[in-house]
Amino acid sequence: MRIATSTIYAQQTAAIDNQAALYADIGAQLSSGKQLNAPSDNPGQIGQDLQLHVTIDTTTQQSTNVKNAVSELTSTDSALSSLTSVLQSARTLAVQGASDTLTPAQRTALGNQIDELLQQSIAVGNTQYAGKFIFAGTSTTANPPVVQQGNPISGVTFTGNEQVQGQLIYNNQQFALSTTFQSAFNYASSDGSPDVFQTLIRLRDTLQNDVVVDQSTAAINRAGAVVYGAASPAPTRLNAANVFATTPVPDGSGNFSLKITGSVNGVPSAQTITVAANAPVDGPGSVVAAINAVTAQTGVTAVYDPVAQKMSLNGTGSFFVQDVPSAGAATAGNLSAVLNLASTSSSSQADMVQNVSTQIANVDHILDTVLNARSVVGARIQTLSSIGDQLQTTITDNTKVESGIEDVNVAAATSKFSQTQTALQAAYATTNRLEAKTLFDYLT
Amino acid sequence: MSFFGLNLMGNAIDAFQQASNTTSDNIANVNTPGASRQVVNLTEAQPIVGSPGYSTWTGPGTQGEGVLVQSITRIHQDSYDGLFRGASGSQNFFGTQEQQLVSLQATFGEPTNGVNTAFSALQTAFTQLASTPSNSQSGGVAARANVISAAQTFVAQLNSVGGAIQNAKATAIANAANVVTQANGLIDKIAALNGQIRASAAVGDNPNTYKDQRDQLIDQLAQLLSTQTAVQSNGSTLVTVGGRAVVNDTTAYHLAAPVVGTDPSGNPALVIGMVGDPNPANPVPVQVGSGQLGAYVDLYNNKLSAYGNQLDNFANATATEINRVMTSAYDQNGNAGQALLQPIVGLNAITATNIQVGITSAAQLPAALVSTAAGSLTTSMNSANNTVDTSAQIFTPPNSPLTFKYPAGGPTPAGSALTVTVNGVAQTYNYSWNAGGNATTIDQFMTGFNAAQLGVTASFDSVAQKIVFTRDPNNEGLALRGAQPGGSSPQFTIADSNPVLAAGTPQGTATTSILSLLGAGAISGVQQNSANAFGAGDNGAANAAIKVFAKNVGVPSLQYTAPAAIAAGSATVVAPAGTFAQIGVGAVLTLDGGTANQENVVVTAVNRVTGSITFTATLAHAANYTIASAQTQTLGSYYGGLVGQLGLDTANAKTGSSAQTTLAANIDKVRQGIDGINLDEETQNLVKYQNSYQAAAKTLNVLEQLLTTALGLIPGG
Repeated sequence: MRIATSTIYAQQTAAIDNQAALYADIGAQLSSGKQLNAPSDNPGQIGQDLQLHVTIDTTTQQSTNVKNAVSELTSTDSALSSLTSVLQSARTLAVQGASDTLTPAQRTALGNQIDELLQQSIAVGNTQYAGKFIFAGTSTTANPPVVQQGNPISGVTFTGNEQVQGQLIYNNQQFALSTTFQSAFNYASSDGSPDVFQTLIRLRDTLQNDVVVDQSTAAINRAGAVVYGAASPAPTRLNAANVFATTPVPDGSGNFSLKITGSVNGVPSAQTITVAANAPVDGPGSVVAAINAVTAQTGVTAVYDPVAQKMSLNGTGSFFVQDVPSAGAATAGNLSAVLNLASTSSSSQADMVQNVSTQIANVDHILDTVLNARSVVGARIQTLSSIGDQLQTTITDNTKVESGIEDVNVAAATSKFSQTQTALQAAYATTNRLEAKTLFDYLT
Repeated sequence: MSFFGLNLMGNAIDAFQQASNTTSDNIANVNTPGASRQVVNLTEAQPIVGSPGYSTWTGPGTQGEGVLVQSITRIHQDSYDGLFRGASGSQNFFGTQEQQLVSLQATFGEPTNGVNTAFSALQTAFTQLASTPSNSQSGGVAARANVISAAQTFVAQLNSVGGAIQNAKATAIANAANVVTQANGLIDKIAALNGQIRASAAVGDNPNTYKDQRDQLIDQLAQLLSTQTAVQSNGSTLVTVGGRAVVNDTTAYHLAAPVVGTDPSGNPALVIGMVGDPNPANPVPVQVGSGQLGAYVDLYNNKLSAYGNQLDNFANATATEINRVMTSAYDQNGNAGQALLQPIVGLNAITATNIQVGITSAAQLPAALVSTAAGSLTTSMNSANNTVDTSAQIFTPPNSPLTFKYPAGGPTPAGSALTVTVNGVAQTYNYSWNAGGNATTIDQFMTGFNAAQLGVTASFDSVAQKIVFTRDPNNEGLALRGAQPGGSSPQFTIADSNPVLAAGTPQGTATTSILSLLGAGAISGVQQNSANAFGAGDNGAANAAIKVFAKNVGVPSLQYTAPAAIAAGSATVVAPAGTFAQIGVGAVLTLDGGTANQENVVVTAVNRVTGSITFTATLAHAANYTIASAQTQTLGSYYGGLVGQLGLDTANAKTGSSAQTTLAANIDKVRQGIDGINLDEETQNLVKYQNSYQAAAKTLNVLEQLLTTALGLIPGG
């Protein structure tokens, strides 16, 4: 085949250009470690690669968020742990106080210790994490949200709210980054049970002031029904059907009579109150009104809590109530059972021991509440830790895929680099020889 | 003895001299582009023969008279020119595109330093903000400032890449203009050479050099655009481009400078017309095909414009979706949120080059959504000592469950409805807790309410036993979005058509209002805003912003309420100017979003002049139905598609350039094999003619001696 001289030069130039370009490309890949340096290097996978970049970046931030959340929740858990210790200490003191062998001075000393625990519990309520009050909800107040009232402390005010502080959302799952004040301290509970502070204040006062209380051991309404109090325009009456947990049964005369044995200024005194079978629980002509009408003689006052659906009798020293037959009746009604009262005999009277024992139940209840809150927080920490691990795995997996797309196979590239280098050297040598030979050399 | 031999050898020396000269010319032009080798055709001179009646030769046979140069022929095969020019045109087409696209690709900076990186950083910043939204919390201020900073980087990248695409388009126009000038110069020269060739041929010359020059100029023209040629009988060459003559004999027809006109659909297009076109602003386009000019026209019309549109769509849709969240939220100061991404020139739509960050203060960055959970207008819905079971029947005749503080007082009255008003757009949600209704349980109510995409989402807080209504910009139906095209509002109201119970109404009071039953009677008709339902530490908007990046959205961002009803079948919708500017053939649109009549259609035709689109609907749609882009992909995947297309086009250009370069080289190799100059061959010819010349010269010398000898015999000589 005939070859034009210019073709030889052009052919060799093109061959060297191609090899040199390839040589430079592979060199660039080896020096950068990347085989994907521009979209045209792998158009089919550049879209996936860009998505992987975003996924890895955002997942890394999510992972950081999760770590922060775990740290924040761990702080909450720590605070709840402190609160648990406070309540367990209070319970120990209460058990010590529930003994007839203690002198009033010793009880007062126990009460003082309870007061210290009360202050500790307030401090726990004002725990801060990273400059914010962890139980203040979404309130941005710069002041502690739990503020004591009176001295000695007679109550607390809470200036935060019951919102959780921010939420971590992962795969449409929402994780509260805190627990609410209600969940942790049983504050303003929906079942009306006393909160941590009320419980400790009552326990302290009981130990210090010899105050005794007999509260319904359980709500007096039946599930799905409500026993309305005096504030309602239509207070629930004792003859209302299917409302009370224990159906009221009047005595033979159609009334309910309750004998209250208490004391006034240390002098024992007993009074019997009688209410009609259709008397309301609270309000005018009610059970509460009848009991309070003889407070001067018994030292006992009655309060109905419609939120908690519980009756509460308060006195000093000791007292107890008994169902007795009304005049003209042979048998007694069951009012004390309807009201779920515990002090129904001289052997189970509402005295200091019984009262403190009752309050131990309250302590146990809020301990359960706190432990429940801790278990929720703990479970959340565990879940988030697990999610953190998953996120880390996701990051690792995606980075691996990204590496597969972007990173150069060093062994293959090195081999190809060497191969191209050889080819380029061959092209140089060939060109040199081809261009060195011409018939003109032989002209004389 | 005569002088005949001397004359004969003199002719031979002459012939060999000419042959050597031709060989020298070949050698001299070995590097001249377009030069074809020439060969000397030697022939025996006419013999001396006797004429009848006048004998001039008395010897035996005829007497040869030596050698003559019959002609000098140009070795060239025109058939390979067409092949070479086609390959050369494609080589230049792809080579030019490769240069431009590699440059543009570098400007994109993907995959490590481009828009995607900034887009990722913006998502990361929102993700961080979702963790620490409040200024009172550690890192809150920094997280808010970080979002603004990330947004600024994002728009800067968009501005940069958008500007680069615009520059690339301007460069394409300028370069195309240069190429047109260059092509017109070549066209003029070809026409002139046609004249010279014709004149030379007419007098019997062999205008080899002119032909070489003309073919070389056509080769050069083919690098600029697709050419077709035909050799005419008079020796001139007709040159056409896309069927239109640019050189006919000695007449040149010039290409006009490129202008941005419109294509048949009304889309802006770079057009190359002919000088003298009656409509120079939008001339009849010359189909320039391949070559550098074809590359610039294709780049402008089919690549750069598409990239620019897609990047603009991405910027616009991203801004639309993020701004919808921002304007549905409250900032740190409790003020209604502003759009985070705003146009630089306010009257124009947001594009990649017309976008800026509209919020500069961290405190003004919206991060909170209105939620009734944060206010005091909703209360626990359970009655004392009871817990509401959200999966239980709300109303079970004859007794309504007493677990509610305000239980259902009977069957739902006819026409019971909630009116949810967002940004002034009132939407009705009918409810019924009767058997077979859509709210027989709390769960069913919430599912149905949320599915209605009213811009407000309902949830149940089991601990607080409260219903929670939250402003949710990600749960807005297309109809709602269409009714508030300028953005949204963080406020909302929910009103119950049934009378709600007054505050303080004792528990146990029966109700026919679902809001009262839910413990939310107090919100009925009351504007939910930052004053009564807002938590400063709320991260709702930050979380909503994160969802924007993860969900499928409509790109380009189109929200249009069509005033006229259409029947099922083919429909053409005309909208105000610019409405469908970004909608192309093949775009998928959703009609009547959020209603039972919703369907997706594919655009089959677009008319930019009338501003209309055509599609085929399966269903009839009543007046004021919504037309929106179908929510088929995420913002990230849309951008990834754009970068992928750029990468694919660049890779194709590289591959094409390489392949066509090889093809052109191979064709040229064959072409040159026929007409190219080979030095070895020419050396042999040179030696051959040198030896012949020497032989002739020596023969002449011998003849001269013979003649001298003969003359010496003359006495006195």
